[in-house]
Amino acid sequence: MLRLIATIRKEWLLLLRDKAGLALLFAMPIILITVMALIQDAPFKDYQEVKFDILTVDNDQGRLGRYIREGLGNSGQFNVIDSLNDQPVSETTAKALIGEGHYKISIIIPKGSTAEIVSNANKIVNDISKRMGIPVQLPVKAIAADSLAVQLYFDPAAKKAFKSAIHQALDNFLTQVQTDLLLERIQLQLKSKDSTATDTFPAIKLKAVGLQETNLGKNQEIDVISNSVQHNVPAWSIFAMFFIVIPIAGNMIREREDGSLVRMKLIPGNYLSILSGKLLFFVGICVVQFYLMIVIGIYVMPLLDLPALQLGVNHLAGFITAVTIGVTATAYGILIGTLFKTPNQALNFGAISIVILSAIGGIWIPLEIMPENIQMIGRLSPLSWGLDAINDVYLRNGNVSFILPDITRLLACGLVMLGIAAWVEQRRIS
Amino acid sequence: MTSIAVTDLHKTYAGALTPSLEGLSFSFPEGKIVGLLGPNGAGKTTTISILCGLVKAGSGKVMIFDIPQDAARREAIKRIIGIVPQQIALFPQLTAKENLCYFGNLYGFKGKALKQKIDHYLEIFGLEKAADKEVGKFSGGMKRRTNIIAAILHEPRLLILDEPTAGVDVQSRTMILQFLKEYNQKGNSVVYTSHLLDEAQQICEDVAIIDEGKLVVQGNPTDLIRQHPACRNLEDVFLHYTGHAVRD
Repeated sequence: MLRLIATIRKEWLLLLRDKAGLALLFAMPIILITVMALIQDAPFKDYQEVKFDILTVDNDQGRLGRYIREGLGNSGQFNVIDSLNDQPVSETTAKALIGEGHYKISIIIPKGSTAEIVSNANKIVNDISKRMGIPVQLPVKAIAADSLAVQLYFDPAAKKAFKSAIHQALDNFLTQVQTDLLLERIQLQLKSKDSTATDTFPAIKLKAVGLQETNLGKNQEIDVISNSVQHNVPAWSIFAMFFIVIPIAGNMIREREDGSLVRMKLIPGNYLSILSGKLLFFVGICVVQFYLMIVIGIYVMPLLDLPALQLGVNHLAGFITAVTIGVTATAYGILIGTLFKTPNQALNFGAISIVILSAIGGIWIPLEIMPENIQMIGRLSPLSWGLDAINDVYLRNGNVSFILPDITRLLACGLVMLGIAAWVEQRRIS
Repeated sequence: MTSIAVTDLHKTYAGALTPSLEGLSFSFPEGKIVGLLGPNGAGKTTTISILCGLVKAGSGKVMIFDIPQDAARREAIKRIIGIVPQQIALFPQLTAKENLCYFGNLYGFKGKALKQKIDHYLEIFGLEKAADKEVGKFSGGMKRRTNIIAAILHEPRLLILDEPTAGVDVQSRTMILQFLKEYNQKGNSVVYTSHLLDEAQQICEDVAIIDEGKLVVQGNPTDLIRQHPACRNLEDVFLHYTGHAVRD
C-alpha cells in the first residue's frame, strides 16, 4: 500500500511541476469542448430552428393556394415569399431565382386547381347522393383538366432528404384540402336533405387517431440529444480523457530513458504495485477531467447562449462510466508507453490513433449518420463504447445494468492492453 | 564468503552477432572494495545487469553472498544489494528530498525514520542546503551524489556502482570516494566500475579486468603492477591485457 500511495504522490508532484502537461490535460479540453459546442451549434440548429425561404406563385388564388401558404407558414420551418419588390412573384422569376441558387424551393400553384378539387369533390358527393336517393346534384365541370399539378422547383444543390421532406409536407396539404372540401360538400348535401337540422348538424370529424411524440428522458424534453452541448460535451470529454495517453506514454518513456524505471525495478517488491499507483493516479485525473467538462457543460455553456448539459438521473452509473473510460484510456497510455522506444514515436502514434478512433467512434459526428461499413468499424472503437454508455445514462436514464455491456467491453479492452504491456515488458527482461 | 561469485556466464542479446559474455568467471571476497574494469563493450554493464536480476543470463551461475541469483531469490537479493547506475536515475522535476522520499517509500521506509535517514545522507554528501531544489537544476556532481544516496537508503551489504564519478569535479569525486571507503569500513562490500584507473588503483583492494565477455586478469592492483615490470600503474596493466586498439 505504501508503494501505491507513494507512487500516486510522486505522479501528483510530477504533474504539478509540468505546466504544459497540466494545460494539455485541463485547459485544452475546456477550450476544445467550448469551441466545438459553439461551432456545431448552428448545424444542430439547422434541423430545428433555421427557416427556409419558399417562393410561392399562386396562379389559382383559391382555397388550395391559401391552404398551402398558411400551412407552410404555420409549420415554422418556412418563410412564404409571394412577392418581391412589391410585385407578385411570377413563375419565370421564381425559376430564374431558383436556378441561380438564391432560393432553395419554389411552388407554383396552377390556375383553376381549387375549382378542380371542388368539382372532383362534387362528383364524388353526387355519386353517393344518387345511391342514397338524394335528388340534389352539385355542379360538376363538364371536362376535367388533364394532369393539373402543383409544380415544385428545387435548387439543384438541394439534398435528397430535404426534397423528400418538402414533397411529403406539400402532399399532406393537398390531401388535407381535398379531404376538407369533400367533407364540406357531404355536409352540404346532408343539410339539403334534412332542412330541419340546419344549425345543429354535427361537424364531421375525420381524424380519429393522431400522432403524439413523448420523450422517455427525465426532463421530458424533445430533441435534447439533438443539441450541440449534449453531443459535444460528453463526446469531446471522452476524446480528452483518451488524450491522457500522451502524458502517460511520455512519462513512461522518460522513466525508461533516465534510468528511474531501472531503479524502481531494482527495489524489492512487485513492480505491479508501482504500475497500479500510476494507473490509479491517471484514472483519477481522467475522472476529474471528465467532471470538470461536465461542470463546464452545465454552468458555462448557458452563459454562451447554449443549452445546459442534462445528466439524467443515474449519477452512480455516470461515475462508473467515467472511471471505466479512464481505466481504458490509462491502459492504452501504458501500452503505448511500453511498446514505443522514443517519445516522438509514442506521441505521434498516440495522438493520431486517438483522432482516428474518435472519428470512427462517433465523437466528431454521431455514428448513426455514418455509412454502414464505417459504423461496423466504429463500433469497435472504445471511444464509441464510452459515448454509448454516457448517452445511455444521460439521455435514456440507463442504470448500471443498462450500461453493463459497454463498460464490460471497456474494462476488457483495458485489461487486454495491460496484459500485452506486461508481456512485452517481461520479454524485455528475458 | 564471497560477495559475488560468477561462474561461466554466457549472454548473447537477441539479434546480436557476437556474445556480450562468453564464459565469464570471477569472484570477489566479502567486505572489500573491488573494481570491475574493462574497455567499452567488454561486458561490464551486462554483468552488473545480470548480478542485480535486470537481465537473464544465457547460461552460467551467479551467487550473491552465496545466494543464487534466480527467479525464486531475486527479491531477497534486491534487499541486500544497492545499484548506482551510470545514468542519473532520478526524477529531474522532483526535489532531492522528494526523490529520496519516494525511493525510501518503495523500500518500505516511512515517517520520521525515513526523514532522519534522508537528512543524514544529505548532510554526509553536502546536499542539505539543496534538499528542496529540483534535481534537474543540480550540477553534475550534486546529481551523482543524490544518485548514490538513492541506492543506499536501505543500507545494502553490497553496493554496486557503475561509473559513479563520471563527469564530476575533483571535490565531488573526493567526497564520493571517501564515502565509499567509509561505507566499506562498516563491513559492506563495494563493487565499482570506472574508466578512471588511477581512481580504481587508489581505492580498490581487488580488480577484475574483463574484455570481450571474458576475464583477462584479476588481483590486487599493487600485485598486478609488480607482476609486470614494464607497467608503472594500473592503466599500464590494463593496456597490457586489453591492448591499444580503440573499441566501439
